[in-house]
Amino acid sequence: MTGITNPMSGRDQSGEPLITPRLWLQMLAHRERNRLVGAAACGVLAGVQTVVLVVGLAWLIDQLVIHGRSPAQLLPLFGGLALTVGLRSLFQWGQEVLSAEASLRIRQFARAELLAKIAKLGPVWLTQRQSGALATQAVEHIDALDGYFARFYPQLRIVVALPLLIACVVGWLDYLVAIFLLLSAPLIPLFMALVGMGAERLNRDQFAAVSRLSAHFIDRVRGMTTLQLFGHTRSAQQEVWYATDEYRRLSMRTLRLAFLSSAVLEFFASVAIAVVAMYVGFGLLGYIDYGPSPSLTLFTGLAVLLLAPEFFQPLRTLSQHYHDRAAALGAAESIATIFNEPALVPHHIASPQTPGAECELANISVGYIGRKPALQAVSMTVFVGDVVAITGESGSGKSSLLAVLAGFMAPLSGEYRRRSSKVAWLDQSPCLIQGTMADNLRLANPEANEAAMTDALRRAGLGALLEALPAGLESVVGERGVGLSGGQAQRLALARVYLSTAPLVVLDEPTASLDASAEQAVIQALLEWAKEGRTLVIATHHPAIVHVATRHFVCEAGKLNEVIV
Amino acid sequence: MRRVYREFKPWLALLLRRRQRFLVGAFLVWVTVLAGLSLLGLSGWFIAACALAGIALAAGLPSSLDIYVPGGGIRFFALLRTVARYVERLYNHNTVLTLLADLRFRVFGYLTRLDDASLRRRRASDWLSRLTADIDTLDNFYLRLLIPPFVALLCLLVASAFIAIWLPGVALMVAVSLGLLWLVITLGYAWLGFANSHQQATDQRELRHLVLDQVQASAELMSYGTSAWHQRKISSHEMHAAVNQRRLTLKAALGNALVSIVTGMLVLAVLWLAGIALGEGRVNGPIMVMAVLIILGINEAFNLLPSAFIKLGASYAAVQRLNILSVNAVSSASVVLPPESQTYSLRLNNVSFCYPNMFEPALSNVSFVLPAAKRAVITGVSGAGKSTLAQLLMGRASPSSGDVSVAGFAPLKLTEDSRAAHFAMLTQQVDLFDGSLAENLRIAKPSASNKELWRALDQVALSDWAQQQPYKLDTPVGEKGQQLSGGQARRVALARLFLRSPNVVLLDEPFAGVDAQTAQHIAFALDDWLQDKTVIYFVHQVDDANLLPGVEHYWRLAEGQLIADTGIDS
Repeated sequence: MTGITNPMSGRDQSGEPLITPRLWLQMLAHRERNRLVGAAACGVLAGVQTVVLVVGLAWLIDQLVIHGRSPAQLLPLFGGLALTVGLRSLFQWGQEVLSAEASLRIRQFARAELLAKIAKLGPVWLTQRQSGALATQAVEHIDALDGYFARFYPQLRIVVALPLLIACVVGWLDYLVAIFLLLSAPLIPLFMALVGMGAERLNRDQFAAVSRLSAHFIDRVRGMTTLQLFGHTRSAQQEVWYATDEYRRLSMRTLRLAFLSSAVLEFFASVAIAVVAMYVGFGLLGYIDYGPSPSLTLFTGLAVLLLAPEFFQPLRTLSQHYHDRAAALGAAESIATIFNEPALVPHHIASPQTPGAECELANISVGYIGRKPALQAVSMTVFVGDVVAITGESGSGKSSLLAVLAGFMAPLSGEYRRRSSKVAWLDQSPCLIQGTMADNLRLANPEANEAAMTDALRRAGLGALLEALPAGLESVVGERGVGLSGGQAQRLALARVYLSTAPLVVLDEPTASLDASAEQAVIQALLEWAKEGRTLVIATHHPAIVHVATRHFVCEAGKLNEVIV
Repeated sequence: MRRVYREFKPWLALLLRRRQRFLVGAFLVWVTVLAGLSLLGLSGWFIAACALAGIALAAGLPSSLDIYVPGGGIRFFALLRTVARYVERLYNHNTVLTLLADLRFRVFGYLTRLDDASLRRRRASDWLSRLTADIDTLDNFYLRLLIPPFVALLCLLVASAFIAIWLPGVALMVAVSLGLLWLVITLGYAWLGFANSHQQATDQRELRHLVLDQVQASAELMSYGTSAWHQRKISSHEMHAAVNQRRLTLKAALGNALVSIVTGMLVLAVLWLAGIALGEGRVNGPIMVMAVLIILGINEAFNLLPSAFIKLGASYAAVQRLNILSVNAVSSASVVLPPESQTYSLRLNNVSFCYPNMFEPALSNVSFVLPAAKRAVITGVSGAGKSTLAQLLMGRASPSSGDVSVAGFAPLKLTEDSRAAHFAMLTQQVDLFDGSLAENLRIAKPSASNKELWRALDQVALSDWAQQQPYKLDTPVGEKGQQLSGGQARRVALARLFLRSPNVVLLDEPFAGVDAQTAQHIAFALDDWLQDKTVIYFVHQVDDANLLPGVEHYWRLAEGQLIADTGIDS
């Protein structure tokens, strides 16, 4: 990795410069500089072939029409031009393939980087986020960068080189036309800037309007149950139509201006053809007798006529891809905010200093940055084999304390030390991932074999379910497969703990929202783990679990106190 | 192939329903392209004619060339091209936005007919954003896949017909070769890229699921130290998807190169043949130049076709997803409850309910009778089957076995209007819409006066709060009611019920997120409003019996079974 990417990886210390959307796009482009430059070069070379082709065509026509030669006499040139056509296609193909490959690699890299960052932010940060929105950022927003790297970025380089090259060729043929083109050239960016400034703002307004409208639609769909309950669906459906149509009416007003920028370019290209045609025609008739006009021939005349629109073509292509840039910037903006979040997960967890300790908290305070710490000056040593219950009102900081113990969050101050790198985690809403029963178990231990998995499921009380499942461990569970009830899901989470070799098990309210039999299964499991010699830390307010514990702590008024019985 | 067409058909019909707009839009695009071709062709003709006339003049020969008509023509086409492009873009975008309204209207219509289980499965916000993306895909269909091939075909016909005036043989060659090119880059490319682009849509969905897994299971992944394992899973999926994407890009790039090489070679071939015709005196110089330049410009009409058609598979995936909605939509029922003089008793007879794909039934053999105008409480932990029971009573789901009847009718058979008129339910998850407080309340009763709204707010102890807001009844509640606290949102939802006068009322956790004093106020207002109504309260547990006045039946749901509670277990 080059020095430029450093701000991305080393952003945990505060005081690092924040990453801006533009800077991020630049850094990404830098990674695939060679391919992108290659694509631009191919684009310029394809443009050169076009120049050769139209100049050659003009010369052929001149030979056929004025000099009366037959096509057969000109066969070598025909052959040469056929080669040019082939080369042009080849370079166009090269441009497309190179830039697409660059874009693909950039997107893969950016996605991996984003996912790594999300992992570093950790579960505590994620609970405050909508997972759907994050998935959109990692999938759709990253893909929105495609147009920018595959089309806009190389085209921006082509625009600098190709028109100048064409102007040189035109200048060699007829300098008056070249002067005309060059004079109109600065006008284009000027006009484009004028229209573009308006259009960019309009574009942004448009984006806002589109997302507002989508939000309106989504809002109504989300509330469909309520609409149905109140018998309000028909009028809501009408409303959806009217809202979209109202948006159409409004946006047409803005589009009238936005489309001016493409009209300006179209106008210049068309007028250039018209002006050049008139100039060349009159020159050929001998009506103009200054400058290079008297020496005009059908060859030079046709060549400059055909080169005039080519002069504007790169710019027109660029303006077609302008919305790619807007889309990429919008996406980069939403992603850069994630990169700018400070990481919550600790870098490294040291080993405990007390002999026989599973983990220890040395004078730590826990809570969220920018808020008053939920717990302060907490020191606690958990020894191997301890069963620790932590109780306290909701909001007393016990969930934050557990997050520190599990390594999801670094303490605000003080030090947390732990013996093992792995922890088994269980909370009140276990997560089922998309996939099979086995995939869900592998989450705890990717190397586990079938026998171990079956055994773990049995011990968690899912033996009967496993036998009932048609494909056993390979049955798909969750949204797209067999649905599990809340109790079954919690038992699956228990099976994960059985499967894991982690010596420390951290449990956050494991029995909340469970029915009596599932609750009993959890308590049974706790006893078994304790017997196996695992260390347990449980946040709970369930008296039966507190009873099982060998040590009991209470979170109260920002302090953690041990209850000595 | 026929299956693909069948899936697309209803949407194509919708997109082409405004036939006149389609024809005018295509006409405008066609005029734009033709104006460009005419501008180039006429300019070439003019220059060649001038060159020949200039030579004649220099040689002292008489030459009569009208320079004003072609000159005027050139200026006209230059202007027409600009204006036509501008008008075309405005007109077609107007059409596309109108179609967007039509598409959303139709999809929304499908959704209004979905039953509760299907809706619940689709609650996730990522499903909703995908839904809008699918509609947008179809909307793009119009500008990318319907108008351009039509215009390209028209252009090739007109251009070859025009050339045929002087060079019929050349025209035939142009028509045949461009016709073949058209077939290859539209139908051929649709076929060639279909599997790849469909696969791409599938890959993207899979990637989304994997990312969602990483986010949702982050606690498990981090604690068990398996984050790296899961990220490897994602990157191996991406590698796999990249192979497919590369194939797609390669094919699209080949298509564009094909257009470029075919049109380029065609220009040379036309020049060759026209050059021979010129030598034989069958055509004059300026006409030959014109023909060559028209063919030189015609690639504009073909350029965008390969990359549009190669993605047909992705549009197909979108259409498939939307069509599933129309399949899932339940047929609406037809029974209307007689308006008055009914005794609205609730009766469940041996009712079981099992969600699709679930092994354990959500409800098993539940039976009870609640006489009209009586009140019951059903307690149970979440997942015990309370919501399912409520959905069955409201006719929003049909029991797997057993009978549900309300006032002697199966609620599922009632029309939506009739159900809405007689039943009311406070759902566990309240839906507030992005709008003002008044708008949200008027969903229950569009004709309600401000006074009625204030009274309803008073009943849920929100009127003081609303009075303090700068916009009073026009206070925005925000998307999903986010401007309000959870408890306030529930109270607004409850206030909506107070605006109606149903006969059967189901209340799911009416006092959740409300402090004791407010709860007492609401309970008092509820007691008054619930007179003569048949009522079931669904609560986690009964904390305070004072909040549930007049309740005669206490039932408890546990693991799908209904147990009669003799007393209050608080």
